[in-house]
Amino acid sequence: MEKKRNMAKLLWLLMLFSDTVPFNCEKSMRERAIELMQDARLIDGHNDFVLQLRILYQNKISGVNLRELNRTHTNLVKLQAGYVGAQFWSVYVLCSAQNKDAVRLTLEQIDVVKRMCHSYEELELVMTSQGISDSRKIACLIGIEGGHSIDSSLAALRMYYDLGARYMTLTHTCNTPWSESSSKGIHNFYPSVIGLTAFGQEVVKEMNRLGMLIDLSHTSYSTVKAALNISKAPVIFSHSAAFSVCNHSRNVPDDILQELKKNKGIIMVSFNADVLACGRKVVNISTLADHFDHIKEIAGSESIGIGGDYDGVERFPEGLEDVSKYPSLIEELLRRGWNETELKGVLRENFLRVFREVENVQRASAPQNQLCQASRCIPPAVG
Amino acid sequence: MEKKRNMAKLLWLLMLFSDTVPFNCEKSMRERAIELMQDARLIDGHNDFVLQLRILYQNKISGVNLRELNRTHTNLVKLQAGYVGAQFWSVYVLCSAQNKDAVRLTLEQIDVVKRMCHSYEELELVMTSQGISDSRKIACLIGIEGGHSIDSSLAALRMYYDLGARYMTLTHTCNTPWSESSSKGIHNFYPSVIGLTAFGQEVVKEMNRLGMLIDLSHTSYSTVKAALNISKAPVIFSHSAAFSVCNHSRNVPDDILQELKKNKGIIMVSFNADVLACGRKVVNISTLADHFDHIKEIAGSESIGIGGDYDGVERFPEGLEDVSKYPSLIEELLRRGWNETELKGVLRENFLRVFREVENVRNNFAVMGVGESEILQETKHSCRLDLHKPQPQPSRSFGFPSVAQPFILTLVSCLMLYYVS
Repeated sequence: MEKKRNMAKLLWLLMLFSDTVPFNCEKSMRERAIELMQDARLIDGHNDFVLQLRILYQNKISGVNLRELNRTHTNLVKLQAGYVGAQFWSVYVLCSAQNKDAVRLTLEQIDVVKRMCHSYEELELVMTSQGISDSRKIACLIGIEGGHSIDSSLAALRMYYDLGARYMTLTHTCNTPWSESSSKGIHNFYPSVIGLTAFGQEVVKEMNRLGMLIDLSHTSYSTVKAALNISKAPVIFSHSAAFSVCNHSRNVPDDILQELKKNKGIIMVSFNADVLACGRKVVNISTLADHFDHIKEIAGSESIGIGGDYDGVERFPEGLEDVSKYPSLIEELLRRGWNETELKGVLRENFLRVFREVENVQRASAPQNQLCQASRCIPPAVG
Repeated sequence: MEKKRNMAKLLWLLMLFSDTVPFNCEKSMRERAIELMQDARLIDGHNDFVLQLRILYQNKISGVNLRELNRTHTNLVKLQAGYVGAQFWSVYVLCSAQNKDAVRLTLEQIDVVKRMCHSYEELELVMTSQGISDSRKIACLIGIEGGHSIDSSLAALRMYYDLGARYMTLTHTCNTPWSESSSKGIHNFYPSVIGLTAFGQEVVKEMNRLGMLIDLSHTSYSTVKAALNISKAPVIFSHSAAFSVCNHSRNVPDDILQELKKNKGIIMVSFNADVLACGRKVVNISTLADHFDHIKEIAGSESIGIGGDYDGVERFPEGLEDVSKYPSLIEELLRRGWNETELKGVLRENFLRVFREVENVRNNFAVMGVGESEILQETKHSCRLDLHKPQPQPSRSFGFPSVAQPFILTLVSCLMLYYVS
């Protein structure tokens, strides 16, 4: 009788214990994720909030409270809750502006980023890897989305760099006269362009010389191959996922992932449900984490970053509905056995490595940048 | 006899002396001019060399030796010979680019200035009055010539400022949707615009807020009046002359010169023979100096500067054929009795005063809100994407809340509950 009662107590204790131990582990995972992110805040590769400001407010943001805006995936309070330490703001302008006023529209989007980042004390505009590292605020960076923004002018590209743009996605969903998009049939520009033309190669070289990151999201397979061939610096995919896991044209096939590893570049994984789940109804954190696992297997965790694409698309995985939810992804990856070093890499160190190397390549190009000294004029390779 | 011989010697000495003394005076004027300019190098308000680089080389300057180029009024050696200490390089793009690709073309011109100024060790790009004062080289500054460059976008204006542009001439020879040019009949844009529209006033206010100098050369009388009315900072004419002396539409009438004096602004006098001499065949340094004398009389020497317009027009006064000749003007003004303080003012101090005050106004406006106006009706044309029409965007959703999904879920849930119960 005594034995039975003791056994009963033991079982009862075990039940209690079994109840709490998993609970402690879960809490610990979450806590671990948060601690990790406090220590290594996220550098996110792509966010279209600024496009939303155009659509919703025609860029008239002075009367808008960007901290608590609830019409968008993004606001400043949510960014902080999501432990975002640096954000690339996309200055996308519609493809339909190509050959019209894309340049002016791009200047207007860059202007919105600057106004936003100067108006809020929790934001600060940075333009270097050091700027990101040093920032105690949310560092703002500028990314051009689509070569149509330069209107086939290397000078425009240089002026965007001067204004602070630090990456350019070579195409959006339309071909430019010099580069091919992965999207077919959405727009009708320059349908015969394949990969990079001669001028497209000049664009890539000029980006190397300037120290501007080359972003290959949205570009075609041929464009990616060509760019990887020419670029002297590591490249990025600011918001793409793994083609092997979901064969969407926006995603990166395994052979390219292998080249990316050799290139020491980075794929910043998109949270866009449509490119993650290939039409499946259920898209959740696990779906996204599958992409991370696969890319780690093929290219190593050092090739991975995060580019949420918030406010650029509509559908996100359950549990990742807005920019405050990033810790949930880190939690899931911890659960899957990713260690802290790997995760700090994913959160920021991998991107910083790429950015620093791109800056190194710029510095190494500097003798070309000095054209005329004393009595000698050395022609540089500037278009 | 002794007396006569001494007298002869004395007379002979006098002759010698009379020969040399005037000669010393002439050399002294030139020398004085040079010394003055060595001490107070010129800040020139307007030069179109960069437009020539577009025309002659399609902006491909890397193989061109800009030091000794002889196809233009300007090259670096001549600038140094002319004691130019700072030059505003005009980034003009053709009026015919209005409503087409003026913005891209303007970026390309700004890019040429930057490449040029980074490529030659005798040049350096500056963006502040302090930068000009401190520079031991030829300071490069950027001036936008014509409001058509901003394509009616205050954001574009701000981005040009960020790129280093420090003045904008509100019009060139064409009206913009918001400002009127002094030129009639050269182009056919926006013929009904008079002075500054409401948006034009916003442009002027935004320029005050930014600290960008407002340049009224090429603008109409109404535009000048309107700008002088609104601007909280001194304004400039980067390359104009006196209407009283030659009644060309590019020149500034006396009543405006008086307002400019009250405004504490500056007229940087143009060397363009056509606006100086009203068709007279002989145009020389004296012709130009007449403008200086007149403006000094009406507005005071503190209102005067120099804006040669080299490489922007073809005809220059005899003796002022290129940018190495500035000392000849200073020499003439010395001869006419201008003193050194006045001339240092003309050469640089007056402009620096204006620029510093424009910077002060910017600092005082630090709390003012950014300009967010736009004009829509006036800017509808085929090269402009109409963003106020819904665009077909199959691949990119704009975050419009999707009401369909929750509704269907609710419906299905209700049906399930009904059937289950």
